[in-house]
Amino acid sequence: MNPCAVTTGFFVLGRCGRPSVTVCRCGRPVCARHVDPQGLCPECAAAQAYADPFHPGWARGYRRRYYEQSSGMYNDAVWYSWFDSYDRGQFDGGDGFDLGGYDGDGFDGDDGNDWVDS
Amino acid sequence: MFWRKTRAAIERFHPVHQGLVWQRTASVTLPPAEWDAVVASLARHAETVKRRKWRLPDRTVAVLVPLIRVLCEDVAPGDAIGITADLRGPQVPEKAGPSRQLPVRKPIRSITEWFALDPWLAVRAELRDGSVLELTVTDRVRYRKIHKVNPRGKHKHKTKSKAVQRITARRTLQPGQDVRRPDTPPPRTLAVRVKPGKRTVISATTKLGPAPTEQDQLQWVLAVATEPFRWTPPAAERRTA
Ligand SMILES: [Zn+2]
Ligand SMILES: [Zn+2]
Repeated sequence: MNPCAVTTGFFVLGRCGRPSVTVCRCGRPVCARHVDPQGLCPECAAAQAYADPFHPGWARGYRRRYYEQSSGMYNDAVWYSWFDSYDRGQFDGGDGFDLGGYDGDGFDGDDGNDWVDS
Repeated sequence: MFWRKTRAAIERFHPVHQGLVWQRTASVTLPPAEWDAVVASLARHAETVKRRKWRLPDRTVAVLVPLIRVLCEDVAPGDAIGITADLRGPQVPEKAGPSRQLPVRKPIRSITEWFALDPWLAVRAELRDGSVLELTVTDRVRYRKIHKVNPRGKHKHKTKSKAVQRITARRTLQPGQDVRRPDTPPPRTLAVRVKPGKRTVISATTKLGPAPTEQDQLQWVLAVATEPFRWTPPAAERRTA
């Protein structure tokens, strides 16, 4: 089974990586810890509870909107693409990433950075 | 006596939650699991406590809870998030500075002006990548108490207030952590300082006038916190819970 592709963290992004038990409707393999009772990943589950920060998955549902808003405010498409490629990375099949015109500078020398094609 | 039952219910809340009800302040450093317990306790407040006097202070649900949720995402189970929140508002006496009289013309009799400084939020979080994030939010409120006499000789008093806000975000990187200048400059309203060293420190400050509404507050805090993270590309794939 594929590893769980749930993105963890908020500013500091990470990947769960536990063995998955199902696949969410968004295509993401999800582990037993991250699947909700309806078989959804935390992001899809929290999208249904956007407005309620008391919902345990709220931050994960809010995260994509935060990256959209902040990249708009900073006029920084790279900032959003960092998140977006990270978030879509593992279950895209690894056949390249859409970095939105980003030229790749700055990733050089990142040791063990296996998520960007060069 | 219904309020006794309510008081008993409040006494069963998490101690940090109780502090927010009784003192309208919190100053504590806890690991993420314990903050989850605080938030779970706060979630029960509205259904348990109907008495207006004991409602949660402003900014608890709109700012504090979502900010805790965000930080818990980035802090490892064994590390800690420190939060000092003073949600009593700017009107408590110890936040007021000295007052002075402004020159006036009729029908105004007097204008007394003073400023209150309200540093209502300070946060320190040790993040998974080894960096440390510190946030502060401070309101500065100008008060003008106006006394005038209307044409019929009636004395009238009114106090006007105007708030500006300063938000700072400071991230102290791990030794040797990669730094790259972002492709786009920050908005002009944001001042950024990068202090290279064994541990690079990136700080961002903004001053907002008028201070944001409670509804927009979280977005502004996160917007300022964004800048120090734009300087570090995402780390390689890591296994994190
Ligand atoms: Zn998982
Ligand atoms: Zn999903």
